[in-house]
Amino acid sequence: MKIAVKINDVQREFSITPGETLLELLRREGYKGVKKGCETGDCGACAVLLDGRAVNSCLVLAAKVDGHTVVTVEGLEKNGELAPLQEAFLDTGAVQCGYCTPGMLIAATDLLAHNPDPSEEEIKEAISGNLCRCTGYVKQVEAIKLAVQRMRGGEDA
Amino acid sequence: MPSREEERREFNVVKHGARKVDGVSLVTGRPKFTADMDLPDTLYVRILRSPHAHARIVEIDTSEAEAMPGVALVLTHKNTPTRRFTTAGQGYPEPSPYDTRMFDTKVRFVGDRVAAVAAESREIAEAAVKAIKVTYEELPAVLSIDAALAPDAPVIHDEDDSAGIYDAARNIVADVDIDVGDVEKGFAESDVIVETVCELQYAQHTPIEPHVVLSYLDPDGRLVLRTATQVPFHVRRIVAYALDYPLHNIRVIKPRIGGGFGTKQEILLEDIAALTTLRTRRPALIELTRPEEFVAARTRHPMRVRVKLGAKPDGTLHAMEMEAISNTGAYGSHGLTVLSNTGSKTLPLYNKAENVHFYGKAVYTNLPVAGAYRGYGATQGYFALETAMDELAEKLGLDPVELRRRNHIRAGETSPIFVKLGEGREGVEQIIKSCELERCIEIGMARIGWAEKRGKKIREGSWVHGLGMAVHMQGSGIPQIDMAAATIKMNEDGSFNLLVGATDIGTGSDTILGQIAAEVLGVPLEKIIVYSSDTDFTPFDVGAYASSTTYVSGMAVKRAAEKVRSQIVDVAAHVLDADPETLSLGDEGVHAPNGKSVSLAEVCHYAMYKSDQFQIAATASFVPEESPPPFVASFAEVAVDTETGFVKVVKFVTAVDCGTPINPVLAEGQMEGALANGIGYALTEEMLFSSRGRVRNPNLFDYKILGALDIPPIEVILVDSYEPTGPMGAKSIGEIGINAPIPTIANAIYDAVGIRLRRTPFTPERVLKAMRNKE
Amino acid sequence: MTLTKVSEFVRPRNLTEAFSLLEEKKARIIAGGIDVILFPTPAERLIDITALPLSGIEGGEEGVSIGATTTMTELLESPVLRGYLNGAVCEMLRQVASPLQRNLATVGGSLMIGHPWSDLITLFLVIGADVTYFDGEEHEVPIDRFYAENIHRRRVILTGINFPAVRRGTAAAFIKFSRTAFDIALLNCAALVETADGRCTAARIAVGGTPRRAKLLVRAAAELAGKPLSEEVVVQAARAAQDEAEVGDDIRASADYRRELVGVGVYRVLSRIRERLEGSA
Repeated sequence: MKIAVKINDVQREFSITPGETLLELLRREGYKGVKKGCETGDCGACAVLLDGRAVNSCLVLAAKVDGHTVVTVEGLEKNGELAPLQEAFLDTGAVQCGYCTPGMLIAATDLLAHNPDPSEEEIKEAISGNLCRCTGYVKQVEAIKLAVQRMRGGEDA
Repeated sequence: MPSREEERREFNVVKHGARKVDGVSLVTGRPKFTADMDLPDTLYVRILRSPHAHARIVEIDTSEAEAMPGVALVLTHKNTPTRRFTTAGQGYPEPSPYDTRMFDTKVRFVGDRVAAVAAESREIAEAAVKAIKVTYEELPAVLSIDAALAPDAPVIHDEDDSAGIYDAARNIVADVDIDVGDVEKGFAESDVIVETVCELQYAQHTPIEPHVVLSYLDPDGRLVLRTATQVPFHVRRIVAYALDYPLHNIRVIKPRIGGGFGTKQEILLEDIAALTTLRTRRPALIELTRPEEFVAARTRHPMRVRVKLGAKPDGTLHAMEMEAISNTGAYGSHGLTVLSNTGSKTLPLYNKAENVHFYGKAVYTNLPVAGAYRGYGATQGYFALETAMDELAEKLGLDPVELRRRNHIRAGETSPIFVKLGEGREGVEQIIKSCELERCIEIGMARIGWAEKRGKKIREGSWVHGLGMAVHMQGSGIPQIDMAAATIKMNEDGSFNLLVGATDIGTGSDTILGQIAAEVLGVPLEKIIVYSSDTDFTPFDVGAYASSTTYVSGMAVKRAAEKVRSQIVDVAAHVLDADPETLSLGDEGVHAPNGKSVSLAEVCHYAMYKSDQFQIAATASFVPEESPPPFVASFAEVAVDTETGFVKVVKFVTAVDCGTPINPVLAEGQMEGALANGIGYALTEEMLFSSRGRVRNPNLFDYKILGALDIPPIEVILVDSYEPTGPMGAKSIGEIGINAPIPTIANAIYDAVGIRLRRTPFTPERVLKAMRNKE
Repeated sequence: MTLTKVSEFVRPRNLTEAFSLLEEKKARIIAGGIDVILFPTPAERLIDITALPLSGIEGGEEGVSIGATTTMTELLESPVLRGYLNGAVCEMLRQVASPLQRNLATVGGSLMIGHPWSDLITLFLVIGADVTYFDGEEHEVPIDRFYAENIHRRRVILTGINFPAVRRGTAAAFIKFSRTAFDIALLNCAALVETADGRCTAARIAVGGTPRRAKLLVRAAAELAGKPLSEEVVVQAARAAQDEAEVGDDIRASADYRRELVGVGVYRVLSRIRERLEGSA
């Protein structure tokens, strides 16, 4: 079947099988920033924004996104500029192996879009479906806090 | 001799929390991981795995699978090389037994390889795997350490072509027994004795990226393995051996890796991918699914460790005995060396004891295969040792901190264990040259509030608070075995290519090695172009394991940079017409005392184009003579729910002596990650088995690793020391952190509710049961 | 992982069309789609009902009605639910799965699959929710009957869930025991108590993930009838719950441990309700 999806601000059409997942479609179409870690919605490495909300793309059938909007980690940069969250992840050492990073950034993007001034607990909750085995989450929470601060025009932490 | 800058311990690039050199590509999701490369005509490979814990393969019928449209190749024991090898990626000759065949006629655990199918798609490969008909003759299975050691136990490795097994007929992979002094006499002379037995569970690394390999032939017909590995050079050697294929025709590339923690120090898929590509002349991709990762990758060695301590009334340890029985699973990967490290990385910490006995066995069982896992035996040893120390302190009426202070090793001291016990062989003598454990303890005590809170059993409803502590050491590489090399070449804009075999698996080693080179060459980190882990283009390095990269690979980089620096100075001396001895490097130039200078770009231009032309470049190697340990003092505050047994870690503090932190942000990250992993190991993580040896929780839904909401406030304090044998004073800290949580939390639980937990993980159910039994 | 059995994905224009598509062949309703992927059936046709007008939250203290395709995140962010029963529904939902999954999962999908560990069912049982479904015509049944009669296993389309009006002097609470924050329950527990003049006039207590699906504990709730919600009464009810609850073993916990948790859980939800009632009095 054919579907039309807006991905990272570009309107695209794909030919898909009705049983394939959004994760499979995106990786096949070259969005390799979307990572496969478990295929059961437990690790969050495959997270993308679907109509602005972060979801596990392994738990979404590609057919379902027909007519909807998807943003992957590749779409977070704007005009060649890194997003504040991406900069903050680099500055705080929140990236180690980087495999969970795209999903983590997507979850954090959803959070900040709906809650521009989250508490530490809300930050942790927002990324609680994104597993990371390298960092212990310490620096990722720090990174999101730093991004919040910068986006509100405050001083660097 | 340390240079002047080092003596001042002031650096321009080192000791700064530089951004990772691969950071931008990772936050933007660039296709840098193994499976991110699409090649036309790639075959997808799936593996048929044994449903039985122990069985002989009587017959395999692959005809139906082979006839399926889209199936390109089916591999079984009938059409693959039969040479036995070890999957353990270690230095050569490997201390692990050659007990593994590509595909065997016998299966030894649920999940063991039976066959592989390469097909046009994953779906076809999966369907074809199901179409293979196998007749098994089931054998009695060995599902525990005790069953393996029983007098009439079934023999797991009864084949006659394995090598390097200590006693195959008794299921014993390895046996270690070393003595210092006379431990029996030592106990007889001791005034206070404690003895404790601790057991550790089956646990999994769970890197977020499962094992994956992509193999293909390059245009010249050479085999390329792009693989998620910690040990690219060992992969090349072992695949060449297993397939009896010329090493020079294999190139191994390690792209970005989604975490390793030891499980990728193992050749799990590369042999199958290689053979598929060689047979079909097509690219082949193998990705483990998450359930396969649980069943068929590697685990930590579950262990039973008994520790007996004898002390004088003032708390001085006089005799120490440690016995470890390790379960290596169906194959002997890392069996001997993990067992050795259980003693060698723990017992030297308390060097006051004159009488020490360490002995143990690693045994085969029909359970998943254990392998290297961050901590590598030390984690297991410290649970028992630091629990016993806590018990001893109580018996002596001493503060647990004080007992450690009276016994721990210090700078200028040695331990006889260093010589007696190495990794699977005799060790190397070493005198500790840097140790700030005393300061680590002091800082940790202050940050956790030891004096105010310990022993107070502060109540909050049904929750009771307690404090615990423990101390630890590890090592920095394997002395006289590990080898690392680095090549640096200069470009005419004053930049440098740094080529290292060292394997960045997410640790940030590309970055810290770049920082070391930049420091020596007097350039900013941006001028170092780091390329790592490609067997065709980078010099040899054993890989990322044994906490070796910062110390061992770091020294190789430093040496290579120093060679290049001296070439630069020689050229500059020509240009400036000055005595090379008087010249100094810095700010991307070479400076003479008379104020004249020449930029590095000019130096390189001169060497390349002007006179006595040559490439400014050098390669250097490093083999460590010793393994300077990092030290950690860890402190935890926990709260235990007396009604449900839930344990909440309120705060976890570690102070760590890692020498000079080359990149403090990355060093903290190593500690934080290891602690989080260790806290999960202490509290929730456990592989569970059916009565027939099948993993019952092979997924991240049932096997719980900690998420962001589960992590307590973690405080890591880097306590500066200076290791004179390390690069810029550095030691390695990739592993040590993971040793801390189990004993620290166990001791804190004891402080809170008076129960000693000797079996991990400390699940609410176990804690509650122990509390009830105490009542 | 591709669902290889699926050959057709359709978006009907109305309920009647959706239902007739469901009747024709091996078909399955899909909303958020999580369980369609994680728990595949031989279904060849998937019928996406998320384009139908089945999403939304309406009402207040006088009762709430929720459309089947409303996501958990929409529920969590709804001011209506924050104000209903001291926000007990939000208290529960915050502990369900992960935000990534809550952005996908719909209340209808969750109730149709009816996982034994479901946190929603446990709370909805004590709220006394009604389930509405369509099988050619509209039906509304109490949630306990919905499961007792296995309606969720039938060929029906769940269309919504309704919560009753809340009388003055009513409070509810939910508690979940799990190994980590993002995990299913070792055991979950909910209660709702209505009081008048300081005495309990009606009460419902439920435990779920036992490891079977939640059930109302009728005898435990009866312990509260006509009595003030005192410490002593709460303890009695907790003890009665331990006797009444059917608990079993699985990889997460033993039956014995679960029985301990039933006692603690019921005690804690009732204590929390006590605090809430005192707080609002």
